[in-house]
Amino acid sequence: MFENFFEIQNGNFTASEKNKVNNVNLIIKDQGDIISLLGPSGIGKTTILRTIAGLQKISKGMIILKGKILSSANINIEPEDRNIALSFQDNSLFPNFNVIDNINFGKKRVNGNGSFLNASEIIEILHIEPILEKFPHQISAGEAQRVSLARSLLSKPDLLLLDEPFSNIDQNLKDEIQVSVKKLLKRINLTTIIVTHDSYEAFSMADKCGIILDQQLKQYDVPYNVHHEPNSIEVANFLNKGVFIDVEIIDSECAVHKLKHAELGEIRGKLSNKLPTGSKARLLLQPEDLIHDDQSKLKLEVVDRKFRGTNFIYTLKTKTGVHLPVSVHSHHIHQHEENEKFGVQSPIYIDHLVCF
Amino acid sequence: MTKYNIWFFSSLLIASIVAFPIITVFLSFFSDTSDYYTLLKDTFLFEYIYNSLIILFFVVLITFLLGVLSAYFVSFYKFPFSNFFSWSLILAFAVPGYIYAFSIIAFFENYGTAFSILTYLFGEDNYNLIIPKIDGIIGAILAISFSLFPYVYVLTRASFHYQSNNYIEVGKNLGLSSKESFFKIILPSARPAIFAGLALVSMECLSDFGTVSFFSVNTLTTGIYNSWLSFDDLNTANQISFILLLFILFLLSLEIYSRKEARYHQPGRGFKPITKIKLSGKKAFLPFIVCTLILFVSFVFPVSQMIYWTIKFPKYFQDINIIKININTLLLVLLASISIVIISLFINYGSRISKSKILTYLTNFSISGYAIPGVILAVAFITFFSNASDFLSENFGFESSKGIFIGSILGLILAYFIRFFSLSFNGIKSSYEKINNSIDESAYLLGYSKVKTFLKIHVPYLKINIILIMLLIALEVIKELPITLILRPFNFETFATQVYIYASQDLLEAAALPSLFLIFWSTILILLSSKYILSNKN
Repeated sequence: MFENFFEIQNGNFTASEKNKVNNVNLIIKDQGDIISLLGPSGIGKTTILRTIAGLQKISKGMIILKGKILSSANINIEPEDRNIALSFQDNSLFPNFNVIDNINFGKKRVNGNGSFLNASEIIEILHIEPILEKFPHQISAGEAQRVSLARSLLSKPDLLLLDEPFSNIDQNLKDEIQVSVKKLLKRINLTTIIVTHDSYEAFSMADKCGIILDQQLKQYDVPYNVHHEPNSIEVANFLNKGVFIDVEIIDSECAVHKLKHAELGEIRGKLSNKLPTGSKARLLLQPEDLIHDDQSKLKLEVVDRKFRGTNFIYTLKTKTGVHLPVSVHSHHIHQHEENEKFGVQSPIYIDHLVCF
Repeated sequence: MTKYNIWFFSSLLIASIVAFPIITVFLSFFSDTSDYYTLLKDTFLFEYIYNSLIILFFVVLITFLLGVLSAYFVSFYKFPFSNFFSWSLILAFAVPGYIYAFSIIAFFENYGTAFSILTYLFGEDNYNLIIPKIDGIIGAILAISFSLFPYVYVLTRASFHYQSNNYIEVGKNLGLSSKESFFKIILPSARPAIFAGLALVSMECLSDFGTVSFFSVNTLTTGIYNSWLSFDDLNTANQISFILLLFILFLLSLEIYSRKEARYHQPGRGFKPITKIKLSGKKAFLPFIVCTLILFVSFVFPVSQMIYWTIKFPKYFQDINIIKININTLLLVLLASISIVIISLFINYGSRISKSKILTYLTNFSISGYAIPGVILAVAFITFFSNASDFLSENFGFESSKGIFIGSILGLILAYFIRFFSLSFNGIKSSYEKINNSIDESAYLLGYSKVKTFLKIHVPYLKINIILIMLLIALEVIKELPITLILRPFNFETFATQVYIYASQDLLEAAALPSLFLIFWSTILILLSSKYILSNKN
């Protein structure tokens, strides 16, 4: 038996001088886990997938699946012998075969061992029925992605790699398909790596999420922690949820930690990483951290208001010119215009105090 | 994958095969000059160049007018039979210049067909005095122009065709009249295509051997041929070739440049085909009459002339072993088209999977063979293999190996290969490039090996294209004259060589039957591939 289902040890992945990721260590412990790799476009996420699939060589390090080395300095198993499926972001359907024939190409690898799925089920889940007889040039990019996904699933791979699998699918269908594909992957216990630049997709689909920035795998953790406890300023900035403000650590010893900001006053909560009392730090302030309260004495000036459907994002300005985002439910009784005063609950309490 | 693999060496081999006639020509330019060359330099060479250029100038002018005008009419207007004209105008491709040439002679000569028609209509008289004598340079210009104008027609028409209606609508929206739109929008954007067409015409015109030889006009190509045949002077032949190649290389770069420009006019998203303007009554008369005249003069006239003679002189049915010629031609067509297509597929696949830059350079070089005039190719071919054979027997005591390549089917196919490889390679490439690379990768990931991917995914996709390319090679081989004439085995005749031999012996009536067969097969090939030709893939 093998210790980890899938593993990358000290992997260097290179497509070009700009497009490379170095020293990646990533473990998928159990079969059936879904992990996502999140990062900006052109950073090298696809290169990692292509290398795992065997379409490119690894520059350094090792890729191991079920205890067997697939890629290393000396070993490079051909893609056709890996039993890894990759669903490409762009159209990769065979142009001279119609949709159903394309999907059935997936079956051929199984060679009678039987897929864990039957074609009709996957066709239904991915809403492919109406286009079965059509040829690749007659269907939309989103449809092609779904067909490609169906083909990959049917090939009964040990590991499924999805490169931006839902990027071209219409928003109204996207949510539904994401949910049903995740359910399906879990049911058939298929280990999957999804590459995406959409953090919602990465968080909702995956058991664990890797953040790739500056040619490195910066953080690899469960999505909840990645969101609430980003381990570096870069990750926090990439997720782009808030701002950093200067604080002083008043008390990091008690059960409830206390910080102090010159204008916002005392801030309480739990520090995600231990910092000594008395030290200075930068605190991540996300829109959901501040709570609106008309009665509060702590008033800030409104400089901008964005309507986001379920909520408003207000941008507030302190006296020294620091801009802070605050989310307010859109059913809130009244709206605040620019230059008006806006009350913020004080003292401030934030569950996860992310300081660097 | 290592750099120097099977793909690299096979591409290198093919590039070298294509390169050797060019290298031979260049080397011989710097070798010792024979006396004949000195003589030639003082007397004929200037005449050769002068004649070639005069013919070139007028052919370009006439093909421009014929090609652009007819393309304009069928692309932008609907008039009686406009759809018919849009494909039938390419039938002129079926009539090679040398056959057109002797149709002209047969018609206008003393007591020729024109004379017979006039006598039939108006009774006997000495019509020879009033029938114009079209021969020499004028005849050559007309024959070459009418057999080559479809190049300009096809490329210009495709360019007009792919021009989006959006441009024209934008033009109207900006307040341009129809006439202004034509001169300010349509014509300028078709310019690269027209240029490319004219560059092709120019190369073919300079390469033409049969037509000028038939009209006894001394040009660079006949100069090369005569130096070889009459004076047995390969050096001089190669030296004249050098001068001709310089002209051709200039035109080739012009053509490549224009093609690159023309690529910017490919249809993208939001492409709207042109809405043709319907013409009726008097307005429809002009385009109708122009297209009818072009079709008549370029195709119906030579075909009728050949049919007329074939019927008038039935005795040649017995004299000519037409079945044998059919079989010979078929043999060459099959061998050439199959081998060229297989090698093109192989090389295309190699450069696809190995993605090496050197390989791309090599193949780019290999496709330059189409620019080398057939006469030059054949003479350089002979020079190279005689020298190689002499070298081997002098230094290593080998028996003469000339016979393997010179005057053999193998040599002939090899020479066709050099000349037509680009046609086949590019045709397959343009289709191959449409298969996204991730498609191959998907196949690998689904467990297909490289060979299986090629056989199961690529070949089925390229199938129709492969057949079309074979048809086009067949068409070229059937019409090809100088290479076949110079390199064919003794007494091995094709339609083209039989026509040439009879015609050069002044047995014009006898040449009619093989000409008719040649046109017949060419027409069938053109009709089968017309959709492809008209879509301007090559």
